[in-house]
Amino acid sequence: MKDIIIDGKKISVKEETTILDAAKELNIEIPALCHRPTVEAYGACRLCVVDVNDGRKTRMVTSCNYPIRKSIEVNTQSERVRKTRGMLLEMMLSRWPNVDVIKQFAAEYKVTKPRFIHPLVDYSSNACILCGLCVNACSEIMWEDIIGFAGRGESRRVVMPFEKHYDACVGCSTCANICPTGAIKMIDDPNQPADSKRIMKYGSKIADEMVLMDEEQCDMRGVGTAHLAQIMNDYDLFPTCNYKFGSHKDAGGLHSDVFKQKYITQGLPDGCWLGCSMSCAKTVEGYELKTGPYKGDKVLIDGPEYETIAGCGANMGIFNPEFVLEANFYCDTYGIDTISFGTGMAFAMECYENGILNKERTGGMEFNFGNEEVGLEALHQMGRGEGFGVIVGQGIRRMKQIFAEKFDLTKKQIKFMQDIGMEAKGMEYSEYVTKESLAMQGGYGLALKGAQHDEAWLIFMDMVNNQIPTFEDKAEALHYFPMFRTWFGLMGLCKLPWNDVEPADNAETDEPAKVPGHVEGYVNFFSAMTGKEIDKHELILQSERVYNFQRVFNYRLGFGTREHDSIPYRSAGPVTIEEYESRAERYDKQLVEKWDYDIKGKTSEEKRDYLRKMREADYQKLCDAVYKRRGWNENGIPTIQKMKELKMDLPEVLAVLKKNN
Amino acid sequence: MKTISVNGNSLKWEQNMTINVIIGKMNYTFKMLVVKVNGELIKKTEYDMIIIPAAADVRIIHLISGG
Ligand code: SF4
Ligand code: SF4
Ligand code: FES
Repeated sequence: MKDIIIDGKKISVKEETTILDAAKELNIEIPALCHRPTVEAYGACRLCVVDVNDGRKTRMVTSCNYPIRKSIEVNTQSERVRKTRGMLLEMMLSRWPNVDVIKQFAAEYKVTKPRFIHPLVDYSSNACILCGLCVNACSEIMWEDIIGFAGRGESRRVVMPFEKHYDACVGCSTCANICPTGAIKMIDDPNQPADSKRIMKYGSKIADEMVLMDEEQCDMRGVGTAHLAQIMNDYDLFPTCNYKFGSHKDAGGLHSDVFKQKYITQGLPDGCWLGCSMSCAKTVEGYELKTGPYKGDKVLIDGPEYETIAGCGANMGIFNPEFVLEANFYCDTYGIDTISFGTGMAFAMECYENGILNKERTGGMEFNFGNEEVGLEALHQMGRGEGFGVIVGQGIRRMKQIFAEKFDLTKKQIKFMQDIGMEAKGMEYSEYVTKESLAMQGGYGLALKGAQHDEAWLIFMDMVNNQIPTFEDKAEALHYFPMFRTWFGLMGLCKLPWNDVEPADNAETDEPAKVPGHVEGYVNFFSAMTGKEIDKHELILQSERVYNFQRVFNYRLGFGTREHDSIPYRSAGPVTIEEYESRAERYDKQLVEKWDYDIKGKTSEEKRDYLRKMREADYQKLCDAVYKRRGWNENGIPTIQKMKELKMDLPEVLAVLKKNN
Repeated sequence: MKTISVNGNSLKWEQNMTINVIIGKMNYTFKMLVVKVNGELIKKTEYDMIIIPAAADVRIIHLISGG
């Protein structure tokens, strides 16, 4: 830290802080025309000059790019400083007499009419004042480098390469948005929003947050969702060996740092759509494949994302990043979903280790956890449509049926498959351990499309924060979040900018978990896009209409009732003794404290069974509370009353509901 | 033994306990946190400075990200 004095006021700041930022902390304003916190200071306008005395001499420096390295005394209003600023503004005003920002700054320095006319005078109110903000924003916010300066002195100007239209420009509008004069205009606006200025305002808010805070928040630009691998392992939520455990001593091998340092070669952000400043997609280049039809080829791999790392790694008992990359590549190439592959393989592996499968049934493959060779061979079989891989490729629900029909299994084995087969509504679970969060069990089990966390991710709120202790609290979260997140689907928007970066003041809001600042952004985005004003309640209502309609639709097709909201016990608690004993302290404590169960002299088996009874009952109670909150009957079917309230009492809907209600 | 409550869990209180010490003890490695001590919001810059009194109600709220 360095102690400095600005205009007689003392302040202690971190080394390398600029004088401009230090002054801001003291509420001392310094005029700064070409400076923004989101881009590197360019030092073009020189308006921010101040006097600096370092104990030996006094010098005039530009405060926006002067890093504080020793104790100095700063004067922001000395006579010569004010005179210099006045002269600079007079020069600027003589060259760009009608540009608003310049007129405003000039007026503050009592310059209203220059005493001379600049030889390059430009009377446009949108003249380019050569501040350089657009050039730096394109390079630093978008990592694009599309525009730059050409020419020197009088002929200096902002251009695209060779002064031609350059196709590589993604049309993100970041440059237009940051330009203080309006010199850059977006002419190509294919979506024709009702109010593009308003959209730019909220869009650039996210871009600014990404630039200023992402690195210390989620580092989405650096590693994407891969950052979660280590976090989930630390919180015992990283699915390991078919969700038996939530962490593993070798999980460090799948840490995002490993991918970043060794494999992710493109330092560029890669957005799903052009111009996304979150750009969480990452790329591995020149990776030499070790198996399959492209063995020996050097390829480019799009990924890996968190779900792929967990599913095609830890959940199969594999902690080798190169296996994850190889599986990632071939899943993409064959058109196989990495989550279904990982979770499906994990199930087959546990079946193998428990005698439900054997070498004869798998076509000679040893399906143990951690067997990388078999993992890839099964994947190639799936791709080729042959062998045991074809059976795994049909997913867990079918595998359970096929194994039960084809092999001579005991009742106990069939039940075991039900317990450990991590699917709900026929869809494989994504990669989070939900055992210690009842709300998250509901997040998966009550999701309309199957076991996906994208309706509600509540583990931290529930398990770590203890914020939603009662059934009603959990039901409220399982109402709000699925409705809020359904809205992204309705609009075709990505969810990540909602809460994978958060406004600096989010902590001070009344409901930080909802990220109110960003909800406001989405509300404004909708209104600005369509011209129809909505508020945050209408946003939820829009989703509720569709969500309930979908539930009725599921019901019409023979699903959409309580029975179909059931979950495998593996997602609610320990199925095996091995699992119970691996976290015995936790489960014992809960049995005693939560359920008053006397554990003295009880075997692990007895304790596991009692825990199961309690947890299964809790899940049903959770369903009761959620159905009630959502306006459904006790079987999980939307009531006619609810559909009326939502104005979704369409004749077809009523016909379905009346038949059975 | 003097204790504090961290998200409803009891934790042994120590002299000169700061938020960063508690975060370390709880192995909270997630970065997007909202911290309140007895209802008062604690800024990130204060995680190393504010000393937590015995019997304090500490909330270290993890926000959601991912997926
Ligand atoms: S629109 Fe985006 S990519 Fe194109 S020049 Fe402007 S900032 Fe760069
Ligand atoms: S176009 Fe706008 S942002 Fe770019 S240098 Fe000119 S005035 Fe500055
Ligand atoms: S703001 Fe510092 S040089 Fe322009």
